Amino acid sequence: MLSLMILIPLACLLLISFLPLKGKRVAFAVVMALAFFQIYAVFSPSIMANRHLPGLASVFNFTLAVDSLSRIMLLCIGIVIFIALLAAGPFVKEEDKRFYFSGLMILELMGLNGVVMVRDIFSMYVFWEVAAAASFVLIALEKKRDPLEGAFKYLIFSSVATVFVLSAIAIILLISGSTSFTDIRVALLVTPHSNLIILAVGVFLAGLFMKAGVMPFHGYLPDAYASAPAPVSILLAGVVTKTLGVYTAMRIVIDIFGFSTALKSILLCIGLISAIFGALAAMGQKDLKRLLAYSSISQVGYIFLGFGCGTPLGIAAAIFHIFNHTVFKSLLFVNAAAVEDRLGTLDMGRMSGLASRMPITGTTSVLASLSLSGVPPLAGFWSKLFIILALWQSGLYGVAVTAVLTSLLTLAYMLLLQRRVFFGTPEKNMAGVVEAGFNLTLPAVILAILIAGVGLFFPYVVHTVIFPVVSF
Amino acid sequence: MGTQALNMDIVILFLMALAALWTVMTRSLLRSAIGLALTSAMLTILMFRLHAPLAAVFELSVCSGLISVVFIATISVTQPMSQEKVLQHMRDRLERFWYLPILLVLIGIVLSFVSFKFNLSVPLPEIEKDPRVVLWNQRPLDLLGQIIMLLTGVFGIIILFREAKQK
Amino acid sequence: MTNLFLPLLIFGPLLAGCLVVLVPQRVRFLKEALVLAVTAADLVLCLRLFPEEMTLFYPWGAYGIDFSLRLYRFSAFILAAAGGFAFLIALYSCVFMFAKEKGRLFFALFLFSLSLVNGAVLSDNLIVLLFFWEGLLLTVFGLIAIGGKTAFKTAVKALVIVGVADLCMMIGIALVGHLSGTFAISKIQLSLGGLGSLAFVLMMIGAISKAGSMPFHTWIPDASIDAPLPFMAFLPAALEKLLGIYLLARICLDLFKLVPESGLSMALMIIGSVTILLAVMMALIQKNYKRLLSYHAISQVGYMILGIGTAVPIGIVGGLFHMINHAMYKSCLFLTSGAVERQSGTTDLERLGGLAGKMPVTFLCFFIAAAAISGVPPFNGFFSKELIYDGALERGLVFYLAAILGSFLTAASFLKLGHAAYLGPKSEATQKAKEAPVIMLIPMIVIAAGCVYFGLQRSFPIGQLVQPAIENHLEGQDFSSLLPNKKLVAVTAIMLLMALVNHILGAKMKGSGLKAVDYIHDAPVLSGLYEKAERRCFDPYEWGRVFMKGFSYLLWRLDRGIDWVYNAGLPGCARALSNTLSRWHSGSYVTYLGWSLGGLLVLVIFLLSTRSF
Repeated sequence: MLSLMILIPLACLLLISFLPLKGKRVAFAVVMALAFFQIYAVFSPSIMANRHLPGLASVFNFTLAVDSLSRIMLLCIGIVIFIALLAAGPFVKEEDKRFYFSGLMILELMGLNGVVMVRDIFSMYVFWEVAAAASFVLIALEKKRDPLEGAFKYLIFSSVATVFVLSAIAIILLISGSTSFTDIRVALLVTPHSNLIILAVGVFLAGLFMKAGVMPFHGYLPDAYASAPAPVSILLAGVVTKTLGVYTAMRIVIDIFGFSTALKSILLCIGLISAIFGALAAMGQKDLKRLLAYSSISQVGYIFLGFGCGTPLGIAAAIFHIFNHTVFKSLLFVNAAAVEDRLGTLDMGRMSGLASRMPITGTTSVLASLSLSGVPPLAGFWSKLFIILALWQSGLYGVAVTAVLTSLLTLAYMLLLQRRVFFGTPEKNMAGVVEAGFNLTLPAVILAILIAGVGLFFPYVVHTVIFPVVSF
Repeated sequence: MGTQALNMDIVILFLMALAALWTVMTRSLLRSAIGLALTSAMLTILMFRLHAPLAAVFELSVCSGLISVVFIATISVTQPMSQEKVLQHMRDRLERFWYLPILLVLIGIVLSFVSFKFNLSVPLPEIEKDPRVVLWNQRPLDLLGQIIMLLTGVFGIIILFREAKQK
Repeated sequence: MTNLFLPLLIFGPLLAGCLVVLVPQRVRFLKEALVLAVTAADLVLCLRLFPEEMTLFYPWGAYGIDFSLRLYRFSAFILAAAGGFAFLIALYSCVFMFAKEKGRLFFALFLFSLSLVNGAVLSDNLIVLLFFWEGLLLTVFGLIAIGGKTAFKTAVKALVIVGVADLCMMIGIALVGHLSGTFAISKIQLSLGGLGSLAFVLMMIGAISKAGSMPFHTWIPDASIDAPLPFMAFLPAALEKLLGIYLLARICLDLFKLVPESGLSMALMIIGSVTILLAVMMALIQKNYKRLLSYHAISQVGYMILGIGTAVPIGIVGGLFHMINHAMYKSCLFLTSGAVERQSGTTDLERLGGLAGKMPVTFLCFFIAAAAISGVPPFNGFFSKELIYDGALERGLVFYLAAILGSFLTAASFLKLGHAAYLGPKSEATQKAKEAPVIMLIPMIVIAAGCVYFGLQRSFPIGQLVQPAIENHLEGQDFSSLLPNKKLVAVTAIMLLMALVNHILGAKMKGSGLKAVDYIHDAPVLSGLYEKAERRCFDPYEWGRVFMKGFSYLLWRLDRGIDWVYNAGLPGCARALSNTLSRWHSGSYVTYLGWSLGGLLVLVIFLLSTRSF
C-alpha cells in the first residue's frame, strides 16, 4: 500500500492538469487534501503496512519500505506541505500561478516521499532529482531577478551534488553489481578497504553534504532560501534540504556504510563546523530570511553532531531534532512571511517593535526562537539536550561543551532578531502595520502549539515516536 | 582496451573539461549555453566509447535536454551586461582568482607525489546481468520516477517560458 | 505544679503576641490590656515557680538536639527578674506607646522578646538556646526598626553587629558540642585549653555582645536615639543584660571552669576594665539624656564582666548582684528619660533644665537611680560595686584602679546629667512641663524603691537570689551579710566627694552644670580622640563598613570586568568573526564551488588516509 503515497499524488496531479479551468481553482484544495492524507497515512497502520495492491493495481507494486525514521520524515513532509500551502495565499495570487504552484507542490511531495521510502540507491537518486528540480522551479516562481539568481545557484549546486552522487552510485554499482541497499551493504562487506570504495563514499557524502547545505558545502543555500517566495522558503528549510541531504545521509550511513570511526569523525567535524560558523554567520545578517537560512545551517550541524555519535541515543536525538527543526524553522519562516507580507521588506534595519502591531506573529516567533535556542521546556530543548547527552556519553566532552556554548550563540542571534524585529516600541513607519491575515496566523498558531505540546509531553513523544526509530 | 583508445578517451575528457570551462567563463550567455551543450555532447561520446549507450542516451536527454532548457529559460530573463560592466567583471575576476592557476598547479604537483593507488582491479563480484537490464528492465519505480521528472520539467518549462514571454 | 508550666512561659507570650497582631489598630485598649495581663501572669507564674526545680525533656531531632528545659535557682532568678521588668515596662509602655502608629507591632515584638528571653533562659540544650538567642536578634531588629526614619539603618547595624557575634557563638556551640559530645548544658563540663579555649572565647563573644560590652556596643547609643524608649529600658538596659550575663556566668562557671590563674580570666577582666573606662569617658561628654544613659549601659556591663572575670567567689557574686542592680537602676533611668521626653518633648540636655520642680517624683526616682549607679551608699549599686572592687583588688591593683576611676567618672557624668536636666534655670522646653502620668510613675517608683530595698536589705538579694544560683562555686563563703571592706569604702567615699567637688568647681567655672566636665572633653589629647569617637572613627562597625565598601568596590570592578567580557569582549569577537564570514560570502559561484570542492578533497584525502573502508 506504500505505493499509494506516490500514486495518489500522481493521480491528483494528472486530474487537476487535465480537467479544464474549473479544476484549477480547486488545485489548492487538492494539495491540502493530499497533505492531510499524508499525515493520516503516517498514523494509519494499514497504509504503512507493506501490503501489495490487489488486482489490476498490482502493476504498481514497487519495492518500497518504511521504518520509524521514514515515518517521521513523511510526517514532517505532510506538515510542511500543509503549512506552506496555507502560507502561500498572500504570495501566489494569480489563478494560473496557483495552479502551477499546486502542481509543483505535488511533484515536490512525490519526490520527497519517494526519497524517503525507496530502498534502492538509483531510485533514490531519481526521486532526489525530482524533488530538486521541483524545488528550483519553485524558487524561480517569482518574476524578479533575485529569485531567478537564487534558483540558478541552487540549480548549479544541485547539479554538482548530482554529479557527485551519480558518480558515487556508478562506482558502487561497478563493485556491487546491484543497487539495492542490502546488496550493496553485503558487497561492501565482502570487498573492504578498496580505494575505489573510499572514493565513492567520500564523493557520495560530499554530494549529500551539499544538498544538506552544511559548511563548507553551503554556499548556495542562503541565497536560495532568501530569494525564494515565502512559502517556498518554508518548504525548503522545513523539509527539502532535510530530506535530500540529512535524511539521505542518515539512511545511507545506517543502511549501507555503517558507522566507522573515520565516518563518525567526518560527521562530527562537519557538524561542529556548521553549528559554530552557521551561528556566527547568522549573527551578522541584516536580512531576516538570510539569518534564518544560516541558522538552518547551524541546526543541521547539530543534527549531524547527534548523528555522528553513532549511538542509538545520538541517532534518536538527531531524528528528534530534525522534527523539531522542521517545526520551529517552518514557524519562523511563516513569521518572516507574515512580516514580509505586511511590510514588503525583509530588511531587519527597517523593522521595529512589530510585536505590538502583530501580536500573534510576535508571540509565536518568540516561542519558536526559544525552542530553537534550546530553552526548556520547549521541544528544541529536549532534542538539544539529547544531542549533548549523546556526545557526552560517547566521551566527546570537548564537542559537547562546544555544542553547549554554541547554543548560547544561537540564543544570542535569536534574541538579536527578536530585539530588532519584534521587541521595543514601533517607530513611525510601522504605524499602519496590522496583524497578518488568517492564512499566516493559523499555521503559526498550529506550529506553536506543536512546539509547546511536544515540549511538554516530550516523555510520551520520545518513547512512542523517537526511540522506536533506533530499535534496529 | 588499447593504449590508443585510452589516449582518445583522455583527449575527449580534456575537450569536455575545456568546453565546461568555456561554459562557465564566457561572457556571452548564448555561448555559454552552446558550451553546455558541447560538454554534454562530449560526455555522451565518452559514454558511448565506454560501452554505455543507454547511459549516454539518458545523459543526452536529461542533461542537454531538460536541464539546459531550464537553464536557458532562467538566464533568458536576466539582463545582459553592458560592455563596460563585462570588462569590469573580467578585471574583478582576474583580481579575485589570480591564485587559482597557481593553486591548481601546486595541487597537481602535490598529488603527483602522493601515490594514490586506485586499485581498479578489485575482485568484482559476479555481475549476473547486464547493467542495462539491472537499470531498466527490473525497475518500474525508476520509470515512474522518470515520468514524474518529465512532468516536473514540463511544469518548469511552462512556468519559466511564460515568464520570458511576459518580459 | 506540673512542669508543663515551663513551655507555657515560652508559648504563652508568643501566642499573646500573635493575638496582639490580630487586634485591629482601631480597637484601643484591648492590646494594652492583653499585654498587661500576659506580663502579669508571666510574673506571677515566675514567682510561683521560683522555689521549684523542674526539667522538661522532649526528644526533638537527631544529633543530640532535644527540646529540653530546666528550671533551677539561677534561671528562676533571671526569669523572675525578667518577668518583673516586663510587667513594669509594659505598664509604662501602655502610656508611652498609647495610640502611637506602630504600637501594635511594638507590643507584639515586646511579647515575642519576652517569650524568647524566657526560652533562652530555660533551655537546657545549646541548640535550643541558640534558637531563642537568634530569635531575640530578630525582635531587637524589629523593635529598633519601628522607631522612625533613621531607625532602619540603626536596626541593620544592630543586626550586623550582634549577628556577627551570634555567628561566633554558633561556631562556639558547634565546637562545644564536638568536644563534649552533647548539647545538653547541664551535662557539659569542659576544660579550657586548645580547642576548648577557642570554644570558650567564641561563646563568650556571643554572651558579652548580647550584654552590650565593647567592642560590640556601638549600636546601643544609636538605638537609644532611634528606637522607642521602652525598648531601651526593656532590652538593652534590662533583659539583654540579664541574658548576656546569665550566659556568661553559665559559660564561666558551668560549661567551663574558669580559674583565676587562667589567661582567659585575665582577658575577661581586661575587656571589662576597658569597657568601663572607654564607655564612661564617652558617656561623660554626651549632650543627650538617652545617649548618655546608653553609654552607661555599656560601661556598667564592664563591671559585671570584670566581676565574673575575676573568677573569685566575691567577684562573681558582685558581678551577678551588679547585674540585677544595673537592670533595675538603668531601666529606671531610661524610664525617667522617657518621662522627660514625653513631658518636655526633648532629651537634648541643652534644651532641658529645672525639671526638678516640675516633675518632682521623676526627679526623685532619677536621684535614687543615679545615686545607685554612681555607687553612693546605701543604695544597691554601692554594695555590688564594693564586692566587685574587692574581687578586682584580689586579682590586681590595675583592675581596681580602673573600676574606681570608672566610678568617679560615672558619678561626675550623673552629676552633670542631673544638674543639666533637673536643676538650673528652666528652659523653653521645660517651661510648660508637668509631672508624668501616674501609670508611668508607678514602674519608676517601684524600681527606685527596689534600688533602695536591695541596698538596705542586701542580704535578701545576695543571700536569696544570687548565692543560691551559684552555690557550687562559692567555696562555702557567704557574702550576704558581709560588711564592705572599710579601706575600700573610704576610697570610694573620697572618690565620690572628689566627683562632687569637681562638679561644683567645673559648674562654677563654666557657669552651667552641663559644661562642668567639659575640661575633660577639651583636654589636649582627649579632644582629638573624642572628636574622632563622635565621628565614629573607633566604631568597628564603621571599619567593617569601610572595608566592605572597598571590598564591594573591588567586586564591582571585577564584576564590571566580567561584564565587559560578556557585553563587549565576546560579542565583539563574535561580531568580528561574523563580519569576516559575511565578507567571505560574496555570492560568487566560483568561491562557493571552490569551498565545496575543497571540502570534497579534504573528505576524500581524510578517508583515504584512514583507509577505513
